Amino acid sequence: MRQTGFRAIFMRSVLQLVRRPIYWVGMLVLPLFCVLFLTSEMESGLPVKAPAAIVDKDGSSLSRQLTRTLGGMQLIDLVETDNSYTQARHSMQEGKIYGFFLIPENFEADLLAGRSPSVTYYTNATYYVPAALLFKSFKSTALYSKAGIMLNVLESAGATADQVTPLLQPVSVQVRGIGNPWLNYAYYLCVSFLPGVVQLMILLVTCFSLGQEIKYGSSVQLMRMAGGSIYKAVAAKLLPQTIAWMILMMFLESWLFGWQHYPMHGSWFWFTVSELLFVLACQGLGLFFFAILPNLRLSLSVSALMGILTFSLAAFSFPVESMYGAVGIMSWLTPVRYNFLIYIDQALNGIDVYYSRYWYAAYIVFMLLPFTLMWRLRKVMMKPVYIP
Amino acid sequence: MLYEVYCREFKLVLSDMGIIIFLGLLPSAYPIIYSLIYNPELVREVKIVAVDHDRTPLSRELARNLNASQEVAIIGYASDLSEGRRAMNEHEVYGILEIPEGFERKVRSGEVGNAVIYSEMSLLLRYRAMLVAATNVGQAMSAEIQTEDIDRVLPLAETVAVGDPMQTVNVTMGNIESGFDSFIMPGIVVLILQQCLVLAIGMAGGAKRENPLLTGYNAVNEMPSVLMTMLGQVLCYFTVITLPTIFLLHYVALIFSFPMAGSIWQIFTFIMPMVLASILLGMAVQAVVWERESIFVLWVVTSVVFLFLSGLTWPRYGMSGFWKVLSDCVPATWGVQGFIRMNSNGASLAQVRPDYINLWWCVAGYGVLAYVLQRWVVRPSVFRRQKAQ
Repeated sequence: MRQTGFRAIFMRSVLQLVRRPIYWVGMLVLPLFCVLFLTSEMESGLPVKAPAAIVDKDGSSLSRQLTRTLGGMQLIDLVETDNSYTQARHSMQEGKIYGFFLIPENFEADLLAGRSPSVTYYTNATYYVPAALLFKSFKSTALYSKAGIMLNVLESAGATADQVTPLLQPVSVQVRGIGNPWLNYAYYLCVSFLPGVVQLMILLVTCFSLGQEIKYGSSVQLMRMAGGSIYKAVAAKLLPQTIAWMILMMFLESWLFGWQHYPMHGSWFWFTVSELLFVLACQGLGLFFFAILPNLRLSLSVSALMGILTFSLAAFSFPVESMYGAVGIMSWLTPVRYNFLIYIDQALNGIDVYYSRYWYAAYIVFMLLPFTLMWRLRKVMMKPVYIP
Repeated sequence: MLYEVYCREFKLVLSDMGIIIFLGLLPSAYPIIYSLIYNPELVREVKIVAVDHDRTPLSRELARNLNASQEVAIIGYASDLSEGRRAMNEHEVYGILEIPEGFERKVRSGEVGNAVIYSEMSLLLRYRAMLVAATNVGQAMSAEIQTEDIDRVLPLAETVAVGDPMQTVNVTMGNIESGFDSFIMPGIVVLILQQCLVLAIGMAGGAKRENPLLTGYNAVNEMPSVLMTMLGQVLCYFTVITLPTIFLLHYVALIFSFPMAGSIWQIFTFIMPMVLASILLGMAVQAVVWERESIFVLWVVTSVVFLFLSGLTWPRYGMSGFWKVLSDCVPATWGVQGFIRMNSNGASLAQVRPDYINLWWCVAGYGVLAYVLQRWVVRPSVFRRQKAQ
């Protein structure tokens, strides 16, 4: 085997990857665990059956009817019947329920006498998702019951059913979600967080593998094998990783969109291109971090900080335009943001690739970033110094 | 003797920049950055475009009312749906309001006038904002027209159906503004606390196994008793993390005005076993950290997993069997669950009793695990290192 040249370095880094367990863990075990974990936890798309309580202080036939309606809602699991507000609140503080529905005393009597009683529903917004789902179910139960009651009252006054119905809600504004009418939460979480995990691992492994060369001084040997060319050294060093990451992304894509049937309304080709470019963009960013801070620990710290903040910065749940301006700008500085936007455009909405042109261009920018600092990397590789 | 281990470990912590960053900089900077991201709390003024086929006073009123709502902003009018669709594809708007022809005529003649907002589903929070605006505006305009119409259709009905027959009131508890920041941060700070400890202790474990010439720290002069060594180290980390804990659990909430309904002393009593369990978890993790920097590759990504296991974003009742068991084993799960209920809902220590007990179980479990691993994995490898030199 030749001891210099591209192929020799390539083989050397393949052996490094295979021999050290940490690469197996970082590049295979952890990402695959996350894929399995997130997709299986979110299998149902929405957490149905939120534990809730009913406080029925009236005990009339009408209030019991309301309770039954509530019990039949898909998203609610009525686990408790409490006697008072205080009791229900304590249950909420103890975490047994996420919300409760309170029917006041003399509810039926007041209603029939036209004294307009009020039902109150409480949700614990400390838990966002259950609170939102309970709010929705409580509100629609209250509105249905109210409509039923109005219907009765008006019909008793002599109106016919077709006269009454539009009276209940003459103006209706519906909202129709395009692409995800089921409001499936997993369609956002899995397709954003899993590439986020891959980005984090790419940044870390890129910096870790290069930092090892500096730490143990083997970068000198690496540069000698590359005949002094930093481009050759880095390219051959990182290529085995590139291949591994690309296989991982292809697996992720087929797992989510093939096996799990996530929506793919657009072009498979362009989406696949995005996944592959994403790997290169992440490696470019990792290399850039390492060139700025050619120190194992510092570059890993920056990668970890960036990689973890990305999960919130990349605006997978909270929109960029609602963030503070200076913070919002940061969201554009991370490759996975573009991966998510391309997913929305190409897979969920299935629009023409023309509209996503900027996102693809952004990948290219990340790939070009490290070229501005290669001279610096070369200097460090020639004279490695380890700072703990 | 114990005091010696305590001091030695202190020296290790203070002389290693990496550990100082994990225990000092990370817990102070990270929650600030994180809170700043979500601090606007609510999604306001989601941009939509209107397609008005009706062009009547009522249709314009509908558009005006939607525009006046806090959640939605109409940034322009399009002549037809395809023009609106183009604006949506160009990412200029996130929804299209379509008012059909004959909208006002239908409403005035006693039928239902249907308008539709087509929402782009790139983010659920935007969809939710549009839904809230649509529901509120639809109901408000309906109520207005109802009172006019009931008079007209059924003069008699007024006597029985004046006003609202049944009022519905919604009360939001805990995080009373339903803000995103106030929801997520109280849980995140607890998670940060656990992760800081495990990362720092994991890194210290790596440092002990490395060549002292490289890291400037010689680990090999431990006491003969594994238990005493561990105790000294636990006490050391417990001391170091005290200030960051107070900052994370008290001052972060103070700075960003998150809910603070609990008693601070009860909260610290509650969080103490979580800190202990995290330290012991860190000492168990030391078994697989062969060099200082490995801990980044091995542990940073677990934050994402623990976030989902904690029941903060995905409730615990929605988890399937295996994941629930795994979630039971993480100290931060119980820490997050108990802390957010104490902090945001004002629960007392007695009311989070099950969580508190589970935290002590975690302390016991990780204590045993850490002892076994320290005794039969970490310590022998440190001594091997010594012999090799």
